[in-house]
Amino acid sequence: MSQLAAVQQGKTRNGWNVRKRAYVSATGAGLLLVAIGIGSWLLGSAGLSVQLDNRNLPPSLAHLFGTDWLGRDMLSRTVKGLALSIQVGMLGAACSVIIAAVMGLMAATLGKTADRIITWLIDVFLSVPHLVMLILIAFVCGGGLKGVAIGIMLTHWPSLARLIRAEALQLMSAEYVLVSRKLGRSSYWVATRHLAPHLLPQLLVGFLLLFPHAVLHEAAVTFLGLGMSPHQPAIGIILSESMRYLSTGMWWLAVFPGLGLLATVRAFDKLGHYLRQLVDPRNAHL
Amino acid sequence: MVFVLLVSGCSTVNPESEPSSQSEKSDELVVAIGAEPDTGFDPIKGWGRYGSPLFQSTLLKRDDDLKIVNDLATGYDISEDGKTWTVSLRNDVTFSDGKPLTAEDVKFTFDTAAASGASIDLTNLASVEIADNEVVFQLNKPQSTFVYYLITTGIVPKHAYNSSYSEHPIGSGPYQFVQWDRGQQLIVESNENYYGKKPYFHKLTFLFLNEDAAFAAAKAGSVDVAYIPSAFSNQSVTGMGLEAVKSVDNRGIAFPYVKAGGKTEEGYPIGNDVTADVAIRKAINTVINRQQLVDGILEGHGSPAYTANDGLPWWNEETVIPDHDAGAAAKILEAGGWSDSDKDGIVEKEGLKAEFTLIYPSGDVTRQSLALAAADMVQAIGIHIQVEGKSWDEIEKLMHANAILLGWGSHDPLEMFNLYSSAFGGVDYYNTGFYSNPTVDKLFEQALEARTEEESLSYWKKAQWDGQTGLSVKGDAPWAWLVNIDHLYLIKNGLSIGKQRIQPHGHGWPVTDNIESWIWKE
Repeated sequence: MSQLAAVQQGKTRNGWNVRKRAYVSATGAGLLLVAIGIGSWLLGSAGLSVQLDNRNLPPSLAHLFGTDWLGRDMLSRTVKGLALSIQVGMLGAACSVIIAAVMGLMAATLGKTADRIITWLIDVFLSVPHLVMLILIAFVCGGGLKGVAIGIMLTHWPSLARLIRAEALQLMSAEYVLVSRKLGRSSYWVATRHLAPHLLPQLLVGFLLLFPHAVLHEAAVTFLGLGMSPHQPAIGIILSESMRYLSTGMWWLAVFPGLGLLATVRAFDKLGHYLRQLVDPRNAHL
Repeated sequence: MVFVLLVSGCSTVNPESEPSSQSEKSDELVVAIGAEPDTGFDPIKGWGRYGSPLFQSTLLKRDDDLKIVNDLATGYDISEDGKTWTVSLRNDVTFSDGKPLTAEDVKFTFDTAAASGASIDLTNLASVEIADNEVVFQLNKPQSTFVYYLITTGIVPKHAYNSSYSEHPIGSGPYQFVQWDRGQQLIVESNENYYGKKPYFHKLTFLFLNEDAAFAAAKAGSVDVAYIPSAFSNQSVTGMGLEAVKSVDNRGIAFPYVKAGGKTEEGYPIGNDVTADVAIRKAINTVINRQQLVDGILEGHGSPAYTANDGLPWWNEETVIPDHDAGAAAKILEAGGWSDSDKDGIVEKEGLKAEFTLIYPSGDVTRQSLALAAADMVQAIGIHIQVEGKSWDEIEKLMHANAILLGWGSHDPLEMFNLYSSAFGGVDYYNTGFYSNPTVDKLFEQALEARTEEESLSYWKKAQWDGQTGLSVKGDAPWAWLVNIDHLYLIKNGLSIGKQRIQPHGHGWPVTDNIESWIWKE
């Protein structure tokens, strides 16, 4: 209800309907992602080299985001850090979605025992705070990019898997599925031909909502020092380093990378939000 | 996080001490100079190796010029064969609890230390005997470095030494123990029974703050002395002045000295084909601009380092080389057979690219900065260094096959022996690269077996460079030493911390070495 009110309010305020706004924010988020990707590629590694003559410079035309205490260009570091975070986020979110889809479909189609086991597994994973889980997995994998990526993959699937399972169970009682089963189709056939196409919108939205979550967790784990080498440009590392220099008045070390992370995450969050409104049948009347 | 720091910075300051530290001429000081000793204040477990042992006193000590002078001893004598050390003691010394300090206590201290073997290597000590106000140390073989144990080992009272001694130390030093709140503060008061020059300050409070919190406390005016990292040195703090103390607290790159292939007992790999080539090691030493590292990373508070012991009595001054010379470095590489035949910017030799990994401990920003800057500098001559940050646990597995950014620095030439002797190959963090040179080993043996410290000095110097070979850059160059880091202290205006010595690697404590000379200036 409140969503409806909010949407109607938005409509009257600037005359845009939800669909239009969803398209605009989708384009915005897409552009941001592409800009970061291309920017990271265009900037090369020159900005990351140590230049002891250009240390601690505040933002200027030559260094839009300033430089750090080793003379490294903060714009290069921020963009490269965001690109790295996005990669990890993409990888983590994509794998989570795949695991969630497989689990959800298996729970719905393979019978009561499989369902019970999978539900139990989901409950177990949800009962442990997943930041703790993530730290544990990253630690066991020996840190580094690999550890963080695997950690995110293995910790972010349960809530989506539960959703997919519920949707799939609902679909299992649809008439065409019942007919298909009576005709002797295998569970695999039913899962791939009848259930999966219906679940695609949910998976897509799940992916977009998981993505910012994964990026934030990547930044958090790296911030805590379990991620990559401290000199690699990752947003979490850059932010945790900047803490040290805040008291010396070097605000640009924290502000720009922080805003970059905020903008990226917010863009994807918005995108996922509007996309859900567009593809969710319950919102079709909007 | 910032909030937490601020809160902890405020809460650990003893409120009662604040008004007194504000007024000049107070005889109490609040200092935040370093980390808390984990094992407490027991000299047998390592307390007092850096800085003044505060509670205890030692047989001998170093003066401000690092000369060895008497403390508890009135003199010492070494027999002709170098195996018998006779130390005569003062007879007017009492512990802070009023009981006299006797030869019995000295024997007890050394016997206990030898038996525990925890932090002092006394394996060469055969026996300790006591005579009339004298202690006689019998050694298995001559050892010139034995004198350093007499300098660093605080004497503990036999009558009061028990398992909780490290938490309630009693001794004959300038201060006596009042209170230790683990993780927060240590409070000491001057020892009325102290036999030496009585310290001016009656009460000292040591706050155990991390560097950021110490700086915040200094800014808030709640400490009189604060140990700060160089990153904060550019900011002025009202009412306090910055004092930079020279040190041998050095940082350098330890190279694997042997070719790849070996394994340690634990199964960790040893050796690296690229750094095993002396031309690579010498070229890196030659091309690095040490002064720029000092200016750029240490904010000028440091000095270029060429050995592990620059400026100490056993330092060979010939080991200083002209650096920041890409031309000379390129020539060294060329003479060593390295050239860039495929024009990719990296030199090769017989198909082997000049690439290796340099690892730094990931928690240390200074080492990270040095590693990155050094890697950038050597790129100019076609050597590619990949930099990686690892935890100490991981470093222990990787340190024999990769270059590591390590730091040392001690007032004891034994450290040179530990770092470069083939006997210490792969032992702890010492000779990680398995350096060995028979000539150097021989000189070490001569230095150790010299009868006195003075005799040993020439051997220590020759081990660094004897005109033909040596462990320094001029010889085999198993290390590329980069910088000595000045220790920085914020000192309240008007407070004098006396003439500071060249400080060892020791996280702030060495500043207390001359605590008796601290005074308010007029």
